[in-house]
Amino acid sequence: MKKLLLLLSLAALLLTTRAVPSAQRGPVAPPPGRIVSLVPATTEMLYAMGAGSRVVGVGTYDRYPPEVDKLPRLGGLLDPNIEQLIAIRPDLVIVYDTQTELRRQLERAGIPMWGYSTKGLSDVTATIKSLGDRIGMAAQANAAATGIDARLQAVRTRVAKLPRPKTLLIFGREPGSLRGMNASGGYGFLHDLVELAGGVDVLGDIKQAAVSMSSEMVLARAPDVIIELHYGEAWPPAKIESERRVWSALPSVPAVRNGRVTLLTGDEFVVPGPRVPLAAERLAAVLHPESSR
Amino acid sequence: MKRYVLETRDLSFDYGRGARAARVLSNVSLGIEGGSIVGLLGPNGSGKTTLLRLMSGVLTPSSGRVMLDNHLLTKMPRRDLARRVAVVPQETRATFDFTVLEMVLMGRYPHLGPFELEGAADMEIARAALEATGTAGLEGRQFATLSGGEKQRVVIAGALAQASDMLLLDEPTTALDLRYQFEVLAVLKNLNASRGTTVVISTHDLNLVAALCQQVVLLKDGSVLAQGPTADTLNADNIRALYDVDADVRFHERAGHLTVVPLARH
Amino acid sequence: MPGTEYSLARGTSTVRSRLAWTLAGFGILALGACLLAPLAGGTSISLRNVFDRAQPYATNIDAQIFFIARLPRVIAAALVGSALALSGVVFQALLRNPLASPDTLGVSAGASLGAMLAITFNADVSIGGLSTVPLASFTGSLGALAIVYGLSVIRRGGTSTMVLLLGGVTLTALLSAVMGFVQFVADFTQTFRNVRWMMGSLDVASYAPIVAALVPMAFACAGFATLPRVLDLISVGAESAAARGVDVARTERVALISASLATGAAVSLAGPVAFIGIIVPHLVRLIVGADHRLVLPASALFGATLLIACDVVARTIMAPLELPVGIVTALVGAPVFLWLLFRRA
Repeated sequence: MKKLLLLLSLAALLLTTRAVPSAQRGPVAPPPGRIVSLVPATTEMLYAMGAGSRVVGVGTYDRYPPEVDKLPRLGGLLDPNIEQLIAIRPDLVIVYDTQTELRRQLERAGIPMWGYSTKGLSDVTATIKSLGDRIGMAAQANAAATGIDARLQAVRTRVAKLPRPKTLLIFGREPGSLRGMNASGGYGFLHDLVELAGGVDVLGDIKQAAVSMSSEMVLARAPDVIIELHYGEAWPPAKIESERRVWSALPSVPAVRNGRVTLLTGDEFVVPGPRVPLAAERLAAVLHPESSR
Repeated sequence: MKRYVLETRDLSFDYGRGARAARVLSNVSLGIEGGSIVGLLGPNGSGKTTLLRLMSGVLTPSSGRVMLDNHLLTKMPRRDLARRVAVVPQETRATFDFTVLEMVLMGRYPHLGPFELEGAADMEIARAALEATGTAGLEGRQFATLSGGEKQRVVIAGALAQASDMLLLDEPTTALDLRYQFEVLAVLKNLNASRGTTVVISTHDLNLVAALCQQVVLLKDGSVLAQGPTADTLNADNIRALYDVDADVRFHERAGHLTVVPLARH
Repeated sequence: MPGTEYSLARGTSTVRSRLAWTLAGFGILALGACLLAPLAGGTSISLRNVFDRAQPYATNIDAQIFFIARLPRVIAAALVGSALALSGVVFQALLRNPLASPDTLGVSAGASLGAMLAITFNADVSIGGLSTVPLASFTGSLGALAIVYGLSVIRRGGTSTMVLLLGGVTLTALLSAVMGFVQFVADFTQTFRNVRWMMGSLDVASYAPIVAALVPMAFACAGFATLPRVLDLISVGAESAAARGVDVARTERVALISASLATGAAVSLAGPVAFIGIIVPHLVRLIVGADHRLVLPASALFGATLLIACDVVARTIMAPLELPVGIVTALVGAPVFLWLLFRRA
């Protein structure tokens, strides 16, 4: 009777334990030495934890650190170049979780991969640690993560007692007009950054990462601070000024009345990677100018 | 010297340009007397439709001239021309759902100013035109729902509303069955008798010409084969020359006009 | 087949009285829409505050929402709705095809391509109060018009409408292919902007683009004013019309240019808004009949009313979020269009 029970429980254990796919187990073979990262965030993370020498290929939109300019570019979210990927002979490819077709192709080619996805600010450090585990640099990864957390906490503490202005974060619109405004909603790492930097997200009640804004919404929500994010090359001062003046079409908005419309350029706002503390610091400087010394 | 209300002199027309031009009419000279009913008779491709379109001013001659009351047709202002010559096309398809009355009222266009709306007088003329073609009861009906014969009579009414002295009809009975052919025939005869309207019909129906037309112009391959009073011109020799068909032409007592019976291929 | 009797006293009443009733009826509807629409929106505002002179305008949020966010939107909706409806009527008569629309001849596609090129290649030109994308869009529509006009003029005589129709359909297909290519080379942000633009938006937030759009619209309306009766005549047959004294070639030119200018103005102001241009003429004809002297003004008024209504829905149905107006017109327009098709069949 006891033997039967033992056998049954053993069988139950075996049946309920799922085999873990090899791509997600800890390093069994030697740690990967030829890593391709199609995701800008993970590229930066790899360099941050000191694995930069192992990176042999990056994605189209990777720009940091400057060393990546010398590396071959293998496509991005929508257009990964599978042939070049295979030709480079990587032993680990970091892809977006949603790139199902690419993942299928890599599986067929027998190339190990690591799926990336992100929801909010806290995922940055979680991803760094997880990635560090995967490539056998757990200690360095944890150190990097701790450093990031510390800097973020510093910002948090600095602004903790300060009044929190209502903040609108716009990451795109038609130049020269207020049409086609896209703003950061109450979800995602930009929202988390704003809250951390001591602001109140005026769109916090809308649980979307991106919200199409209308002029009525801006007027109604009356933000105290408007921050516009701009990518690519920095604009000349004349252009920055003319784009800022576009907001004078909505004079009742406190941000416009008090001249608190700011344009920020920088990849750290686009890439949820190791540079988020810089993004947090810059946001805090805009939201609380008196506090940043 | 007969007074011709419409006359063509050495009229020629080419379709297309340059090397690909096809001569459709060559040196057609004819005269239409006021108040007569004339048939343009010929096989398909003889150029009778083109001739009709030249006579209505829609086409411009390649050479030669068309004169209306001794005025050069091509020099006449469109509106003036429309007030004197009305055209009934072979088929009329209305893209939109116009009523019968609306279709007929369009005939008043040449008489109205650019932004003028039809008034009571125009409504009367339109209704009189419907009466004359026996379609008064169809006034509120949608044009698209009418039968072929009704449609054709309404289009004739529309041409009548133009209050012109001349009516040009292109194959008016070709798409109609026997009953409606009679109806249209009767309308045209009546118009000619009561209002003195000059009627020119382009057709290949020999018996229609025989029944209706006082004068006939025979067209073959773009040239006039013969023209003159129907009684003289519509004979077996000419028919053979025109259609390569042996036919028997004789006066029919009961019908009261000539009839043509085709007998055999020549 | 549709019935023989229609409402609004057809048949025996004169055109004059029917015109008066039509203008009155549709005019009241349009006026009502213009007056009520600015009161609707995702935020509730108080009319008393809006017109309260005591509050300084610079801080009066309700007033600014009314005068900056909503009123220009309603005016833009009226302008775009009437422009598209008028173009639809004229194109349907010009092409003698009840399925024609402002999109048929490629003018709309030209405007969209112009906008896409400006977005994708980050062009930066502004003239007066107009920013780059609307300018590029209007230029694109003029380009398409030039091509179609050239096609119609090259072929002399014969069935010019057939050439026009085929040429226009081909041009639309060609421009759509080019747009596909532009999308392909565009990066992520640009694609996002392109897609947003293509969904249509009336959130102009200022009066300058409206005034700019009024310029080509004025020319278009000058052309439209000469067309109503001749469109009736031409829609029955080009040769019949010519025989009744209509200068068909000139009429077709005026119709083509006016309708294209109106379409270009509308699309560059609000992006391509679907279905207004094709269903408004049909709905209006169901009520007033086929006489273009009634259909043209009624369509202008009803097009304005319909788009204003669709914009109100777009602004309120998912408050505080706003739907692109093109989505609402498509969701409303497609079933109505299907219903119209089934009626005819």
